[in-house]
Amino acid sequence: MSGETGPAAGSLRAAARELVDIGVMIREASVHATAALTDGALLRALPHAPSAACSAHRSLLRSLANGDGLGYALAGGRLGALAAAFGAMAGTESLAVRVLATSLRLRIAAVAVDHPELTGDPMLGRLIEAVAADRDLAAFRALRALLKDRGAVRALSELAPVFGEVLALRALLDENPLNDDAAWLIATGGGYATADPITGLSNRAIAVLDTGEGAARRVDLTDAESARLCSRGSLLGFLRNVSAVGTTGRVLIQSVEGPDGVVRHIVQAPGMRAGRPDLDSPQDLLGAFSSAVLDSSPYSRALAEAVADYGLPQGAELALIGHSAGGAAIMNLAQDPEFCARHTVTHAVAVGSPIDFKRPADPRTWVASVTNQHDIIPTLDGQGAGGCFDLHPGWYVVDYFDSTHLFPLCHSIDHYIANIADDLIEARDRIDGQLAPYHGPVVRSQAYLLFDRAPDPEGFPFLTVPTYPVDGPEGPVELPIRCHDGSALTAYFAADPGAAAELLAGTGFGPAVRLAGRALVALYASWNRRTSVGGYRELHLGIVVPGPWWTRSSRVWPDLLRGADRRRSGSYLAGSVVDAAAVSAVAPRLWGGEPYLAPLEFELTNRSARVTAGAADDWVLSLRGLLGPGLPASDPDLVGYTWEAGTTLRSCLRTRGLGRLHPVPRLRLAVAPRSAHPLARRLRELGLDGARPLLCLSAGARQTLRHAATPMPPL
Amino acid sequence: MSDEAAAIAAHAVVLQSDARTLAECVERLRKIEAGLEAGGLAPPWLREAVTAHLGACVAAAADLSVAAAHLHRCAGRVRS
Repeated sequence: MSGETGPAAGSLRAAARELVDIGVMIREASVHATAALTDGALLRALPHAPSAACSAHRSLLRSLANGDGLGYALAGGRLGALAAAFGAMAGTESLAVRVLATSLRLRIAAVAVDHPELTGDPMLGRLIEAVAADRDLAAFRALRALLKDRGAVRALSELAPVFGEVLALRALLDENPLNDDAAWLIATGGGYATADPITGLSNRAIAVLDTGEGAARRVDLTDAESARLCSRGSLLGFLRNVSAVGTTGRVLIQSVEGPDGVVRHIVQAPGMRAGRPDLDSPQDLLGAFSSAVLDSSPYSRALAEAVADYGLPQGAELALIGHSAGGAAIMNLAQDPEFCARHTVTHAVAVGSPIDFKRPADPRTWVASVTNQHDIIPTLDGQGAGGCFDLHPGWYVVDYFDSTHLFPLCHSIDHYIANIADDLIEARDRIDGQLAPYHGPVVRSQAYLLFDRAPDPEGFPFLTVPTYPVDGPEGPVELPIRCHDGSALTAYFAADPGAAAELLAGTGFGPAVRLAGRALVALYASWNRRTSVGGYRELHLGIVVPGPWWTRSSRVWPDLLRGADRRRSGSYLAGSVVDAAAVSAVAPRLWGGEPYLAPLEFELTNRSARVTAGAADDWVLSLRGLLGPGLPASDPDLVGYTWEAGTTLRSCLRTRGLGRLHPVPRLRLAVAPRSAHPLARRLRELGLDGARPLLCLSAGARQTLRHAATPMPPL
Repeated sequence: MSDEAAAIAAHAVVLQSDARTLAECVERLRKIEAGLEAGGLAPPWLREAVTAHLGACVAAAADLSVAAAHLHRCAGRVRS
């Protein structure tokens, strides 16, 4: 473990710096000569002093194209840039570029003092030599051999300390003119590499894909996550918080009461979220990229939104802690003058982050950067272990290496925490010393989920409906019940028509819908995982009926495809089970009748389903088996009818989501042989014990609205 | 044509100054190499690289000097 640079490496870096200075001077001379050559004054002088002007032109051209002098050195201005691009494509180089290449090689040599494996390893050495000598084929072969021998992860990890230098060398010397500016910036430390050093594709072109004003919404951490949060402020405590929150698109803001009794606040920002490159989250790959490349990004704007929502008094003291992309984002926040005008950003601590070209707006902000030299992420701004410039003299920079060379392991927050806790004692004490005003009990914690742009209200627009309270056993219950996430299975059976007719007798509903002489019966089960009354499961047994005032089955089939608001047909409910007391209590309002309150199990996958009602030792029914092939279908609304005490109620379940129609399901319904449960008895009467459904409809993810049932006019 | 002459003369002055700077760079390059060699830190490839840069700087300084002289002469002719 080391974070110090020895005198040998220091001398090599000083020499590299001197060479950069020389290279820049040589380039300036080239720019001046190009300016003289392309100045219209010299052209206009031709008619007046043709011989002298021609000689001047010839001598300037020689200066700018002499391979033994300035090299192919046209530079500066539009014409110079164009000519330089053509020159690069032709594989020509200028003296300035060659001097910078020597500087980069010295930087690599400086890193190799601390990392002897870079030169001691013949494969790495061959690659670096080939790149430095601009031998493309040899470099390609060396890289391929390295990848084959070590694998991509190890090869990248071993190259990491000199990654920026190798890329810049390659970009300076290759025939691609698009990456030359990026290489120049890396080599001279003049600024953030504006383009990908390999392809030359502009960073900003990629970063503009990451758009959004940034938004933050309060979220609760799980109990397990909350238990991991620190109860007192400290560097390790904050970093462990970042680990606890994880790369989940969330950030944490805490308040601590400092030793002086003043309450101060800490923004803790984790790194990139895994998944698609462009999620709704600003912590996605594009977000990480734009946070590093741009001065303001959706991530930093979302952080500012979170801080605004947290509600800090004007001028409140704030420390910003970030890992990886989170480090770049907090630095963007620190360099936002408007944010710093509202709050006093006292500290910014970035771990494993590319922040070399960030600058806090408030010069009093104390900045610390901790980077592992084998971690590639901090080098994405072009400055890594080989950097020879003191880009930020006022910062506390810890650029260390340990025995773990593997990326991305060495980039993980937990690895950094372990290094800071056990190996970088001095650095930890120094940073903790600076954070002393934040050492105290945590008095408030709030997590936020970040977004690129403000998300729609949950369930909008389908679940955005007027609500009203009805009395429940434990207080008012809001109707309609809005289910944000649920799944359902409807199985249609052919049942005994006589038993179905008995159930319908006296209800006013005509004969059950028939299929090949059998009565059509639906068994509907759903798991409403997240609803306005909490999660619950339900099961309904219904005789499919044409609807009130209709008796002919033939009119039912097209009607079944209609939405609930225009459908007459439905299921006459012959028994219902729910597993939540709150829902059971309001069931008479929802669909009429008293449901049975019993345990329900519901499992649905693309291939199979399993529904059971009743306790394990007192089960009532089970429906399980393979669903068979499925065809895409919309998840249909449900209409239910009940009849009690002379009143008919019509209830609707409105649905949104995609379903699947299973025309040949292989499920089987089993009724507990000795169960005396009324539902079991009814199923036996209908002849459904052991029956297979005719077809099934499944929906793995959907939203539903369950309105209160409506009384119907007398039939 | 006095404007043109002035502009050409200005270029000549700048290039002459650049030629001097490049000549100074030769000295700086020598010092860099000598310093690293003395400390035993010079990589094996450094001498060859610096030698090439030295020669190029000398040639570039000479080229720029010649160009500056031609520009001076041109400016004089245009003026007269």
